[in-house]
Amino acid sequence: MGDKERNVAAGVVVVSHGVFGEGLLEAAGLVLGPQEGCRAVSVAVNAGMEELVEAIKAAITATDRGNGVLIMTDLFGGTPTTLSLSLCKTAALEVITGVNMPMLLKVLQIRTQPLAEIAAQAKKAGQQGIVVAGEILRRKRTEG
Amino acid sequence: MTPTPWVRIDNRLIHGQVIEAWLPYTGASVIVVANDEVAADGIQQEIMSLAIPQTVLPLFVHVERVVAALVQAVAAGPQAFLVLFASCADARRALDRGFTFEHLNVGNIHYRPGNRQISPSVALSTDDEACLRFFLQRGIELDFRCVPNDPVQARFT
Repeated sequence: MGDKERNVAAGVVVVSHGVFGEGLLEAAGLVLGPQEGCRAVSVAVNAGMEELVEAIKAAITATDRGNGVLIMTDLFGGTPTTLSLSLCKTAALEVITGVNMPMLLKVLQIRTQPLAEIAAQAKKAGQQGIVVAGEILRRKRTEG
Repeated sequence: MTPTPWVRIDNRLIHGQVIEAWLPYTGASVIVVANDEVAADGIQQEIMSLAIPQTVLPLFVHVERVVAALVQAVAAGPQAFLVLFASCADARRALDRGFTFEHLNVGNIHYRPGNRQISPSVALSTDDEACLRFFLQRGIELDFRCVPNDPVQARFT
């Protein structure tokens, strides 16, 4: 019961300044293998706002299989985020800002969960993935 | 008896593909890094441990002590193992010391001059080829996937 809905992968769209999002998706593909239902929307300096909104909409339509779409953007307050947020009312979306590699990898691993759950896990993974490695190594030394 | 471990050859040992893709795929609770250099290098062990989720136990062992490590780990409770070797030769050494496996995932053996490229992530020296042929003769199934959802791409006979 309900298994069918649960097994549908959420769409993944990375919207960023420049080709950052494309690069992130490529990098994630190297680690996890090729992924389906992912799109990057690259915001160029000279791009028109309407054109960009259309590009984001197209990416949402292309990736949505019924479990909604997770939009990851680079910077809270930036154009990619603002434009993505403007679409929240028209589609089943979660927008998460500050995308990084740990966040994207987590999302790709749990895409069949409910959208809100994916978003919550993405936030956690994105934050936990930031490690000042030297601090931990030094702490271990003093403990050991 | 220890449960069947997932055995992988990967010259990078612990890295993104292993942590993000193979750990979830295998459901391993213990990662055994079977490598002589790492077993003798505390700093490398610390760096690798940082990358491994806290729910997974890392074990750094000399290639020839894999069996002892598995036996010891199983004594603490049932475990699923992911065993990593950096090279075909190391996997062969472990086999010669009694570490048996039926399936070998050949993930990354990166290109060096003179090696024969058989897939994007695997380039074999003549020694590697002899080694893999030996495994085949022993009935070990070779699996050349770099990440779990790769198609089984390279054939080796």
